[in-house]
Amino acid sequence: MGLAARLLLLLLALSAGQGLGSGRRPPPQSGPEGWALGGGRRLLSLELLEEAEDLSLALLGMGLPGALPPECRELLVGFANSSVRLTGCLVRSARPVRLCQSCYRHFQSVTEQLENITRAVGNSSESNCAKSLLMSDRVQLVVILSQFFNSTWEKANCANCLKNNSEGLSNSTIEFLNLFNTTLMCFEHNFQGQAISVVPSNHTEVCRKCNQTYRNLNALYNKMQKMTEQGSEHRTHLCIDVEDAMNITRRLWSRTFNCSVPCSDTVPVIAVSSFILFLPVIFYLSSFLHSKQKKRILILPKRIQSNASLVNIQEKYS
Amino acid sequence: MANVAKKVSWSGRDRDEEDEPPAAGEATPLLNGAGPGAAGGPPHSRPITHLPFLRLGKLSSVDLDDDVRELETEATNQFPSEIPHNEKLLSLKYESLDYDNCENQLFLEEERRINHTAFRTVEIKRWVICAMIGILTGLVACFIDIVVEKLAGLKFRVVKDNIDKFTEKGGLSFSLLLWAILNSSVVMVGSVIVAFIEPVAAGSGIPQIKCYLNGVKVPHVVRLKTLVIKVCGVILSVVGGLAVGKEGPMIHSGAVIAAGISQGRSTSLKRDFKIFEYFRRDTEKRDFVSAGAAAGVSAAFGAPVGGVLFSLEEGASFWNQFLTWRIFFASMISTFTLNSILSFYHGNPWDLSSPGLINFGRFDSEKLGYTFQEIPIFIVMGVVGGILGAIFNALNYWLTMFRIRYIHRPCLQVIEAMLVAAVTAAVGFVMIYCSSDCQPLQGDSVAYPLQLFCADGEYNSMATAFFNTPEKSVVSLFHNPPGSYNPMTLGMFTLMYFFLACWTYGLTVSAGVFIPSLLIGAAWGRLFGISLAYLTSGAIWADPGKYALMGAAAQLGGIVRMTLSLTVIMMEATGNVTYGFPIMLALMTAKIVGDYFVEGLYDMHIQLQSVPFLHWEAPVTSHSLTAREVMSAPVTCLRRIEKVGTVVDILSDTSSNHNGFPVVESSPDPTQVAGLRGLILRSQLIVLLKHKVFVERANLTLVQRRLKLKDFRDAYPRFPPIQSIHVSQDERECMMDLTEFMNPSPYTVPQEASLPRVFKLFRALGLRHLVVVDNHNEVVGLVTRKDLARYRLGKEGLEELSLAQT
Repeated sequence: MGLAARLLLLLLALSAGQGLGSGRRPPPQSGPEGWALGGGRRLLSLELLEEAEDLSLALLGMGLPGALPPECRELLVGFANSSVRLTGCLVRSARPVRLCQSCYRHFQSVTEQLENITRAVGNSSESNCAKSLLMSDRVQLVVILSQFFNSTWEKANCANCLKNNSEGLSNSTIEFLNLFNTTLMCFEHNFQGQAISVVPSNHTEVCRKCNQTYRNLNALYNKMQKMTEQGSEHRTHLCIDVEDAMNITRRLWSRTFNCSVPCSDTVPVIAVSSFILFLPVIFYLSSFLHSKQKKRILILPKRIQSNASLVNIQEKYS
Repeated sequence: MANVAKKVSWSGRDRDEEDEPPAAGEATPLLNGAGPGAAGGPPHSRPITHLPFLRLGKLSSVDLDDDVRELETEATNQFPSEIPHNEKLLSLKYESLDYDNCENQLFLEEERRINHTAFRTVEIKRWVICAMIGILTGLVACFIDIVVEKLAGLKFRVVKDNIDKFTEKGGLSFSLLLWAILNSSVVMVGSVIVAFIEPVAAGSGIPQIKCYLNGVKVPHVVRLKTLVIKVCGVILSVVGGLAVGKEGPMIHSGAVIAAGISQGRSTSLKRDFKIFEYFRRDTEKRDFVSAGAAAGVSAAFGAPVGGVLFSLEEGASFWNQFLTWRIFFASMISTFTLNSILSFYHGNPWDLSSPGLINFGRFDSEKLGYTFQEIPIFIVMGVVGGILGAIFNALNYWLTMFRIRYIHRPCLQVIEAMLVAAVTAAVGFVMIYCSSDCQPLQGDSVAYPLQLFCADGEYNSMATAFFNTPEKSVVSLFHNPPGSYNPMTLGMFTLMYFFLACWTYGLTVSAGVFIPSLLIGAAWGRLFGISLAYLTSGAIWADPGKYALMGAAAQLGGIVRMTLSLTVIMMEATGNVTYGFPIMLALMTAKIVGDYFVEGLYDMHIQLQSVPFLHWEAPVTSHSLTAREVMSAPVTCLRRIEKVGTVVDILSDTSSNHNGFPVVESSPDPTQVAGLRGLILRSQLIVLLKHKVFVERANLTLVQRRLKLKDFRDAYPRFPPIQSIHVSQDERECMMDLTEFMNPSPYTVPQEASLPRVFKLFRALGLRHLVVVDNHNEVVGLVTRKDLARYRLGKEGLEELSLAQT
């Protein structure tokens, strides 16, 4: 009876395009935000429409045993919201890479939400949220999503530039990023004067002025790399933010500004190597000329008709 | 093993082929030649004592004897002749193993005493020994791996830091010098220990083990000293940056370990653990050596089945199921030991992910599968591998010949090795210097990234190939993603490395050829893959790693020409059974094409060392030869009851250092037929003389201990030389009864038997002496390994090799 009434109410809500259905639930967090950001009524209505649809589908079969209990639904929505925020953040900070610095809070909240779901296993046996959310169908969307987030996080190796408790960026990372910003500022500052010149070479001023900062940055990066290597047996990456920042700087430095011009000393190298290559020739020649050739002393075997047998062989094959 | 002081060298001369002084030949027309008189008589013999008991050689008939005498006088005229070393020689240095059990009365008594349970204990001991072989081989492999990794890492870091420093400031020629000097000084140490302490440890050791399994006793090949030198030598030569691998020597190391453990003692260290005494003879030792070789292969490549098949391919004439099973057991234990220790070392103890010294890495069948259309391409690669392998072998042949002829002094050999090391470094440096192939750094893909003239954050791609241990370079050629190398880099690398590897093999350092071959093949294979993708403009999407693997297989097959075992080794090393078919095709084609031009590298080196190696079968066109033509004659025989003086004289005759003596019936009347009664070995005679087992003494001291088989075993394998045994004048007049000690049932053939028939008997039973008798069971001649090995199928048909002192 009650169910039928609720359905009716929902239909009304759908037709009116108003958020009546949300009355019995905590207001969705994305609602006000969407309002604020989009500022459009259209967006709101679309979202509401979706939610209403959700609800209608969820309510279908609500009373049946085995339906998703409301507290689980709440957990699910919580996960949905946090993952939406994380996804947005990840994509927004994809280029230039700022993943770890800007999204670690979102990532943390996703992890917490997921923990909530899994921890809900123990509290009541009939409303086993973990079971119904995480392993009751073939696709297991929540699991897929969380796995995706985790693997992205691991691939980016963000743990490397966060503090141990993931509370914030580690000191060395902050130091590095500061230095990185200084370097970029320096580049920008000194480059401005020559920005019009199209020729990519001869940015000598940049090279001269920013040499010290660039070197410091490089040294700090190498130091950080060494520190991570010490921790584990294999070579590991730094977190992607730091790596990418360094890559950008290096590319600017050696490709765009053409600052790292190594000394090439071709003539001495050729001289030394041809000297080395020449040594074996002398060695072989001298040993060919001076060394006594090794002779073998032949020993004639004793046999009955060795002549005959040789003749025999020769006859056969001549 | 030479059981004798150097000057004596009673090596493998099982018959009369000494230079016969004409005087002796003429003075004793009716007696067997080989009079010890004129040609520097033995120390104990007085001239007068000779004639009365000149050995009772048995000449079947008078006309035969005339023949012999004529020939001998002829021979002496043209003697001695000296010729430069060539490949058509057989060296006197090598003897046969006594694979055939000597079934004398002592042996039969002992076997009768051993009851059923005791035999079971022996069987269990065999298994225990195999397990120990596996474990120790694995441990040695671990040791080599870890030490090489540490030392090479140190070297590369030093050179890298130096290069990085000088790239900024200028003066890279100093880095080049540093690299060259580091390399050649490390190689110098490695070469000095090999050249001056144990020359037999040079090279990969596979030819030597092949000879040993074939039944040739290569002097010093399974000694503890050889093992130590081999292990240190291989570490030094890999660290020294030569174009070599550490896999081949593992096989030799495994074989030495097996030979050592199975004896339960070390003669070098003079320690006898009093265990495994039952196994102190060539028969048992050789079986264990084949297990050791298999364990070595399995530790080197993580290929236990490949190891078993390697032993099967190389030593298969003496083979049975139980032995195979035991060998397999040893192989498995070996790879497992290596795996567990290395995974502990690498910090993931229960992972077991490094089964061999070289790990080809994972080849996923989904990503790197092959299609039907690619099979002809693999065959083409096999052809290329065969041709390149043939060129490699031909070049190495000339080089080795030159080395044997001219660079035979140890100090020259050391200098040569040092020069090669320096040149290898110089070539590597110049290649890296000239290369402009820069690739972005990606975390851990490169072990020692050299930046040199690349932009910051990039590394020189040529440096991954040259500035690295060869094993790592192979793996990166297999697995680096497409585009890591540009074709120019690969082409130059292949060319340079080909010549370097060819030049390096045969130096007096212990080092293998497996890895350099794989590396050359992987480089051109990858190049092949890239150009294929380029030519067909992506129609055949080719992952270059797959072609690198096939190229490596084809190149290795073209050089060493192993078939079955190599296919399985490659298959196991890649861990992918689906690759078995293309690998087999590539190897097969490479072998066929290569054999058309020249022999395999190992066979070639065996031949250049003048080893009397018996192939599977007699040369195909040798049916016209009979035992009478093949055998050596006349034979030095002993009588069943022989005078001690005679025995001593025969044994100390340096010109006829025979190892086996047919024993004939002792009859006072020389004209009477003296039939064959048995065969006795030099080693047995020496033990008899040492213990003074004379008829008279037995009568004198009734309580004298009877000689047991144990006395023979204790002297094995280094029997004292005859010079060290003192026999007094009185004792010379005593008599020895050989009945108990001789092998009463030696294998014999009639004179009319054809060469293939004799060959088959000889090869299949692992004989050392085969007596040729006439209708009256009289000894006519003796066939030994060198009599059979000298017939070879050459370019113009059947050839006969000559014997030479080396």
